[in-house]
Amino acid sequence: MRYVLHADMDAFYASVEQLDNPKFRGEPVVVGGSETSRGVVAAASYEAREYGIRSAMPMATAIRLCPRVIRITPRFPRYREVSNQVMRIFSELTEIVEPLSLDEAYMDISKESLDAFNLEDIGSSLKSSVKERTGLAITVGGGTSKTVAKIASQMAKPDGLLLIRPGYEQSFLNPLDVGLLWGVGPKTESILKQYGIDKIGDLADRDDDWAYRILGRRGKELRLRALGQDYSEVSTSRETKSVSVETTLTEDIIDPAILRSELRDLSDKLALRISRNGLRFKTVSLKLRLSDFTTFTRQQTLNYNTDNADTIFELSMGLLEKEMKPGLEFRLLGVSVSGFQESGQLVLFSM
Amino acid sequence: MKLSCLQENLNRGLALVSRAVATRTTLPITQNVLIETDKSMLKLSATNLELAVTTWVGAQIEQEGSVTIPARLLTDFVGSLPNDKIELEQTSRPAGIHFKCARFEAQINGTESSEFPPIPSVEDGVAALIDPQILRTAISRVALAAATEETRPVLTGIKLEISGQQFTMAGADGFRLAVYKGPLIEPIEEDIEAIVPAKTLSEVQRLLGDQEEPAKLMVTPSRSQIMIHLNNIEVVSQLIQGTFPNYSQLIPQDYTSRAVVDLQEFTRATRASSIFARDGGGIIRLHIAPGSDSSPGKISVASRAEESGDNHGDIDASVEGEESKIAFSARYLTEVLGVLGRGEIALETTTASSPGVLKPIGSEDYVHVVMPMFVQW
Repeated sequence: MRYVLHADMDAFYASVEQLDNPKFRGEPVVVGGSETSRGVVAAASYEAREYGIRSAMPMATAIRLCPRVIRITPRFPRYREVSNQVMRIFSELTEIVEPLSLDEAYMDISKESLDAFNLEDIGSSLKSSVKERTGLAITVGGGTSKTVAKIASQMAKPDGLLLIRPGYEQSFLNPLDVGLLWGVGPKTESILKQYGIDKIGDLADRDDDWAYRILGRRGKELRLRALGQDYSEVSTSRETKSVSVETTLTEDIIDPAILRSELRDLSDKLALRISRNGLRFKTVSLKLRLSDFTTFTRQQTLNYNTDNADTIFELSMGLLEKEMKPGLEFRLLGVSVSGFQESGQLVLFSM
Repeated sequence: MKLSCLQENLNRGLALVSRAVATRTTLPITQNVLIETDKSMLKLSATNLELAVTTWVGAQIEQEGSVTIPARLLTDFVGSLPNDKIELEQTSRPAGIHFKCARFEAQINGTESSEFPPIPSVEDGVAALIDPQILRTAISRVALAAATEETRPVLTGIKLEISGQQFTMAGADGFRLAVYKGPLIEPIEEDIEAIVPAKTLSEVQRLLGDQEEPAKLMVTPSRSQIMIHLNNIEVVSQLIQGTFPNYSQLIPQDYTSRAVVDLQEFTRATRASSIFARDGGGIIRLHIAPGSDSSPGKISVASRAEESGDNHGDIDASVEGEESKIAFSARYLTEVLGVLGRGEIALETTTASSPGVLKPIGSEDYVHVVMPMFVQW
């Protein structure tokens, strides 16, 4: 029987800061750029969340909600170090660990959990190992699929443990909001709600054809997840699928010359990063956020692979120019490249 | 119009012009052949509006005239006739031609010749004379490097530069570049520069057949058309407008490794590897190793198929410089070796991700630059 754990480090960046600086413990702490540099909240401690502060919120809003909040500039090298420590503890439990980000991972413990009666032991000893060796609290969810494990950990936060026994997937999922399903964003959720689908169980009750008609190929997949039937494997080697860089501008920008020079910097930074890893891309995507927070991406694909900075710049600039309209102000620019290949034709000159 | 000619001659003439007949068109008359009397000859013309081909067939003219006839029907019908005398008589209602050959008779309906698009003539302008054998070689060696996709139209053309006693043709599709330089029969007074569709030149190469008379190239003063005059054939083509890449700066001047090999051996090893490369991303890997006192240098030509296996073949090479590894597209390598024929060639390389250069030994007339593929070695 397959069994998957999803472990999530609670308020990770903020917790690391509270761990390293005892005076921050018990205080509302947020990690992120300053409000004057138009920063956003990357992580908020549970104390800060009580004020309604959430991650991805503009820093200025967070400070308005809680004027005495302690803001800390992110220290990514330190977070990476702590993350590595935690991941090492995970890999002592099972060799099949799939890190999703610095603070999240899936683990396949099918082999370790042959005797399903010791599931609770596995989960609680994992939590206590992490607590003892790093001082951090984690939440662990478990189930027979990634979907169930991840939703379980979301439900159990913070410092929780929720393991769904095999056979109980549907009774666990059915009463939950459909928006909790991986792959159901705000847009899909509003489509589903129009059809009276509020809970995961409502989606599970519909048939495949219906799901296909409403949401296309993705619909069938979502319905299977709603049934707790998600067969995707915990994969240890995650290929790099895309590499991205972005910048939140210091103020909303209309001036094409400034956008151009920002894009030039991003392109150079991105090219450096991928060429260090020996990657060559085929697709360039441009991410734009307007002053009203509308966010969208545009992309273009070449008929060859390259790691050239000028190509990133020219393609992304071309995409940006199509979007520039009088009066539109941009607050964020991002560029990402994808479509990496192990081999491909190099170009003599760009066409 | 009333005339007679030999089936063999008419058949050959129709075969020459038929390649210029439009296939997909919004102007149906371009699917016809224009048939007209021209002094004591029968003149056949076809055009797809980009390319026009005209040829002349010996005939006995009794009465002048002109009409257009569906090309496909006419070519197929004439091709099916015995090699005998054909009598053609123009009919006016409906416009067409009545054919008589041995005991066969046919009426083919067509359209008035006045509706046929005018075929531009290039009367004035500087003319360059090129030996037909040299022109054929030049076209065959550069046309392969031209782009076939229309994403950047200038790259579907061949850059032609004629100056002094020499002409240069260059083709480049972004991945490779081929440059051929050849002599003119007599010096030209004024320079010519044009981008000629590679398709036009490939037709010219075909039409040249085994003719021995020099080919005459002329460009209109407006630089919008080129006329290439062959023996008994006139080709007029639109030129491509735009700026061709400055290719001379794309030709590497240095190398760190230079291998000279027998072309036929290299071709054989490359063909064998291409078979495996079909299921392996089309990649051919070359390992160039200098020789020592006791053993000659070599190029190892290798490829891997995804699941079915791999191969490698060694060929002797005199290698100057360093040991090197480089991977090429099987198609690009096969194509360039295919147009080089016999003799020896030099392969010059610098790094696995910088362009490789192929040059025939013993002549300075041709350079082929090909960009490698990046691979996991």
